Amino acid sequence: MHIVDGALSGPVLISGAVLAVLGVGIGLKKLDAERLPQVGVLSAAFFVASYIHLPLGFSSVHLILNGLIGLALGWVAFPALLIALLLQAVFFGFGGFSVLGVNTLNIALPAVLVFYLCRRGITAYSDRTAAIWGGIGGGGSVALTTVMVAGSLALSGQAFWAAAQITLIAHIPVILVEAFVTGSAVLLLRKVKPEFLQLSETWQEQRYG
Amino acid sequence: MPKALEHSATSWKGQALKHNRSILDRLDPRLRLLFTSVFALLVVAANSLGVLLVCLATALTFALLAKLNLRRTLRRVLAMDLFVIFLLFMLPFTTEGTPLFEVAGFVASVEGVQHALFIGLKANSTLLCLLALIGTLSASTLGHALAYLKVPEKLVHLLLFTVRYLDVIGQEYKRMRRAMQARAFVMRANRHTWRAIGYLIGMLLVRSLERSERINNAMKCRGFTGQFYLLDNLRLTRIDYLFAIFSCGYLGALIGAILL
Amino acid sequence: MSLEAHREPSSPLLQAQKLCYRYPRRGVVLDQVDFDLHIGERVALTGANGTGKTTFLHLLVGLKKAKAGQVIAFGKPCVSEADFVCVRSRIGFLFQDPDDQLFCPTVLEDVAFGPLNQGKSRGEALGIAQQTLQDLGMADFADAVTHQLSGGEKRMITLATVLAMQPDILLLDEPSNALDQQARERLLTTLKSLPQAMLIISHDHDFLAQLATRTLVLDAAQLVTRTPVLDSVEIEKKATGLSEPNNIEAVL
Repeated sequence: MHIVDGALSGPVLISGAVLAVLGVGIGLKKLDAERLPQVGVLSAAFFVASYIHLPLGFSSVHLILNGLIGLALGWVAFPALLIALLLQAVFFGFGGFSVLGVNTLNIALPAVLVFYLCRRGITAYSDRTAAIWGGIGGGGSVALTTVMVAGSLALSGQAFWAAAQITLIAHIPVILVEAFVTGSAVLLLRKVKPEFLQLSETWQEQRYG
Repeated sequence: MPKALEHSATSWKGQALKHNRSILDRLDPRLRLLFTSVFALLVVAANSLGVLLVCLATALTFALLAKLNLRRTLRRVLAMDLFVIFLLFMLPFTTEGTPLFEVAGFVASVEGVQHALFIGLKANSTLLCLLALIGTLSASTLGHALAYLKVPEKLVHLLLFTVRYLDVIGQEYKRMRRAMQARAFVMRANRHTWRAIGYLIGMLLVRSLERSERINNAMKCRGFTGQFYLLDNLRLTRIDYLFAIFSCGYLGALIGAILL
Repeated sequence: MSLEAHREPSSPLLQAQKLCYRYPRRGVVLDQVDFDLHIGERVALTGANGTGKTTFLHLLVGLKKAKAGQVIAFGKPCVSEADFVCVRSRIGFLFQDPDDQLFCPTVLEDVAFGPLNQGKSRGEALGIAQQTLQDLGMADFADAVTHQLSGGEKRMITLATVLAMQPDILLLDEPSNALDQQARERLLTTLKSLPQAMLIISHDHDFLAQLATRTLVLDAAQLVTRTPVLDSVEIEKKATGLSEPNNIEAVL
């Protein structure tokens, strides 16, 4: 899902960067210094988890987990993901430098949307409903990211249209895997550590008390 | 390949990637950051083959000076960016223009080939420069250099915390994976695997959160009230001034060549 | 389950031949180590911290790959990952830190994880899990959240997760670590009642004295049979006294 330097057109790069800076700004504003260690440790955990390769058909997929990141961090997903992408670009050569803004936007914006759309769902009384909402969040955010990646390409020139379409189709199985994995993770987090999903103590008492 | 990749990516030793010491390590990190940023932007803006070849040559020189392990680097890039490579191969056939050759009824155009070639050159130039000049910094030095360059301090501290715990959590993940393996767990494409991995990730996050709570408490016990400090002073030396003069000349020439 | 093993009682269940392992910076931790585990044995493995006891256990089930030598489990040499996958369903491994092992939300799911990996259906796996918990007197914990158990409870549950796979061998890495007196007694009684052959890493000499049939000491990359005459304190002294010069030799 990482676009490399040189593929996108100037206007796409610039708008991506501007929007990403806005998102990161909002995220930083919502992040008090108290919570820095927590978010740092979590983004490290997500960084590690995103290297898990799952076998799928003839090849394997690696998880993006932006849905789960969004559910846990909300707007703070922007700075957390920017850091992860920066580290990946600088130390592993995944992605690139001028595309950092676009890549951050493509992955973090769906995360934030999922936060607003699925948060109520994962606090549902029934575990099953909550897991399904988690799945929708996990699959949905990857689907959105795919659409945005395809969109960034398509906006950069007609020649990329075919590639954009193939990107969309090729990611359907990935979306399903992410949905399943995120759903299970949400199920576990609700039971084991509801604070993680910022569920209040009253919720905990009502649900599991 | 994916398995090897998973391993190489999680075994982050200390706070920097292992690399051989080179002359580039003597350069000030801020200069390296500034040069790379400007260079990357110029490369992306460049639009002639000649300029791009010069850029690639420059980046290759840095890579050689940095004694980068090119094979390891290439392998990682290839594995991760299969999608982009695929895109490059498609471009010639999806761009309309003067026909160049034909494969199974699909016509490749001159313009398409050129476009693909440009993307390849641009991506590789910036990537090599990035890996050579910044990838050889330790992550904490990178953080400090960013702070000097007026990147918001919260972001810098977030970077430092992330890097600090990357290895700890990577190890934790490995221990949990081993314990699963010891119970005969094999990853397959089925729901049992996905559920187990979802639980694994969830539990990894729970443990990480609890670790961060302990860190926070320990920090409070040492009088932390929300204010972080960066303790180091980067000083420019003679070699830095030389590099700065070279950079100005080189990047200036590059801008000239792009504008002309 | 262990038909092959019973056919020829004299052949070892698990065997290591000239096993070698070294870490990049720690140097050689195992140098041509031979080891046999027979039916009914409970072997204690002791030695100073950092000598490579845990590494040895990991090599036996293929979680780390030996630099040289081989592991023979149930009469078959194990080389590839696939060989070890089969072996791992018959060797139960109890990790040092129970938290590394427990990763499912509820106890029952965690105990059922192993049987599911062995190819059992969901119903069967849950049945086995319930039965195992009952056998260990932990049936009340089936729906408990693993992460919120006490240290002693976690230890018993990890034992259940391993026993649910009906293994022939148990590898226990410091099982009595950080347990209070009561939990320790309970674990000891349970282990004594189990039929499996065991290899137990521990620094708890009293625990080992009540459980083990023989004792091995890992020192300077070698497994040495401890002579029963020496008491524990003397052995530790001897071990630390020897370790330095021998380690250097081993590295060279």
